[in-house]
Amino acid sequence: MTEWGWVAFAYAVGYGSFALYAGSIVVRIRKTRQVIERAE
Amino acid sequence: MKVQTRIRRWPWVAIVLSLAVAFALSMISPKDDVQGELVRIMYLHVPAAWLAYVAFFITFVSSIAYLLTKNLRWDRIAAASAEIGVFFTGLTLVLGMIWGKSTWGVPWTWDARLTLTAIMFFVYLGYLALRRTTDDPIARASRAAVLGVLGAVQIPLVHFSVVWWRTLHQPPSIIRPDGPAIQEPLMIVTLVVGVVVFTVIYGALVVKRIELMHLEEQLAEIERSADRPVAGEAVVVPELGKKP
Repeated sequence: MTEWGWVAFAYAVGYGSFALYAGSIVVRIRKTRQVIERAE
Repeated sequence: MKVQTRIRRWPWVAIVLSLAVAFALSMISPKDDVQGELVRIMYLHVPAAWLAYVAFFITFVSSIAYLLTKNLRWDRIAAASAEIGVFFTGLTLVLGMIWGKSTWGVPWTWDARLTLTAIMFFVYLGYLALRRTTDDPIARASRAAVLGVLGAVQIPLVHFSVVWWRTLHQPPSIIRPDGPAIQEPLMIVTLVVGVVVFTVIYGALVVKRIELMHLEEQLAEIERSADRPVAGEAVVVPELGKKP
């Protein structure tokens, strides 16, 4: 793989996994809030 | 847009803007004489490792604060911080493996820095697992706080491992007795900005993670109260035919 290939791979892994982690927090906040609103 | 919604969104806005700045700088920064373009992986790997240190240090401080005050607010901060720390330690290891494969030729070696970082990752993974062993918030907070304090011993061990032992991993690049190893100013600026950006990200993630914990506790309370008998329901049914 070329040097830029390795850099692109590392950034895809770094930013991609971060987006998944942050996205999971957003989804869980939204879902939990909806359940609370329905229950109240 | 409601003011409350705007306030809720500021952490995400801060994260996106910070990452955009860090990404732009890491792409325009010059290539290294030895590592070439591969040096750009450093602008992600080093701040991720820094964030892991910060997160576990905050877990340490919050755990001590919980043990002293017994206030569950400190336990929430410790838990949120530990989870973020585990994520970024894992990311540091993976990015290090990619960097290692492209520069050393191998993704992993049983070097002191790598091995101690992996141990730290599993210890804090254990911290998160320990929190799931009980539903009692007081017992959970106390047990986790003890591990949160003990686990922090690893932070200086990991950081100074490259100084104390002969390792394949490179020694510190900027904070070192004989001055920074990096001479190019833009490379130093990019690395420092990356560290600042990841610190902002840490703050924003902690805020959102604690918000989620509050909501989960609120939901658990609603579920518990739904199971509880309504007032008056627990009255003893009189036995018919018997005089009181």
